[in-house]
Amino acid sequence: MAEPAGTGPGRVLVAVYGFFAIAAGARAGWQLATRFHEAPVAYLLSALAAAIYLVAAVALASRRPAARRVATACCTVELIGVLLVGTISVALPDTFPRATVWSGFGMGYAFVPLVLPVLGLLWLRHTRRPATDSTAASSGGRGHSSEESR
Amino acid sequence: MDDGLAYTVIGTSLVVAAFSGLMALLGRPPRLAHLVGLSLVELVMVVYAVLAMGKMFTGERPDAMATFVGYLLTAVLIPPLGALLGWAERTRWGSVIISATCLVVPIMVVRLQQVWGVWDG
Repeated sequence: MAEPAGTGPGRVLVAVYGFFAIAAGARAGWQLATRFHEAPVAYLLSALAAAIYLVAAVALASRRPAARRVATACCTVELIGVLLVGTISVALPDTFPRATVWSGFGMGYAFVPLVLPVLGLLWLRHTRRPATDSTAASSGGRGHSSEESR
Repeated sequence: MDDGLAYTVIGTSLVVAAFSGLMALLGRPPRLAHLVGLSLVELVMVVYAVLAMGKMFTGERPDAMATFVGYLLTAVLIPPLGALLGWAERTRWGSVIISATCLVVPIMVVRLQQVWGVWDG
């Protein structure tokens, strides 16, 4: 059975993404509103990260096929983001005078920002497999569709 | 913020996390008991938040107020969100969600205490 990404263990991912969207969003929103001038890059980055977490949470929860691509894209962007920002924040600490979610590879959040996109991508791959990988299903599907097209 | 209250939130939350985690291990979906537990966590968290807001309005401010308010909002929103998501998942994974929710709250409270400046961070 093709399992939607947003059920079972997948819902745990949705929950954690939701928490992160709220945590990063609430913090970034307040910081942007009260002291944007202090570190605009860091605060905007936090807001962007929060937005991506929110989209990922919604996409993972959705049953529509397009949502899967959106979720994959979000997880990929996150993984690149946390690796990039993590590396920059360690190598050139002056670039981000204020901590972001992704600084130090998400150290301030127990490295969850680093683990989360990896789990997300693994889960997306895991839930895709039953629909496309099974030989019985794919040969049956191919025969079915070619019969119908004639 | 008051240490006793912080410990109350952390303790309540950890008990509910342990209960919910145990139910997940036993393969049980969330039941009324999970929701009652989460409600208790939310209740003490709201008391914490209201007292913190009261202190801030009367002049006693945390070292980094922006961060504090951000964390406070998050901490108050997390239990209801966990309840919604956990209740929607009628399998053992629903119990996992509620357990995870109750593990996030203590972390938030520890951070809140650190940001307020009473606990070393």
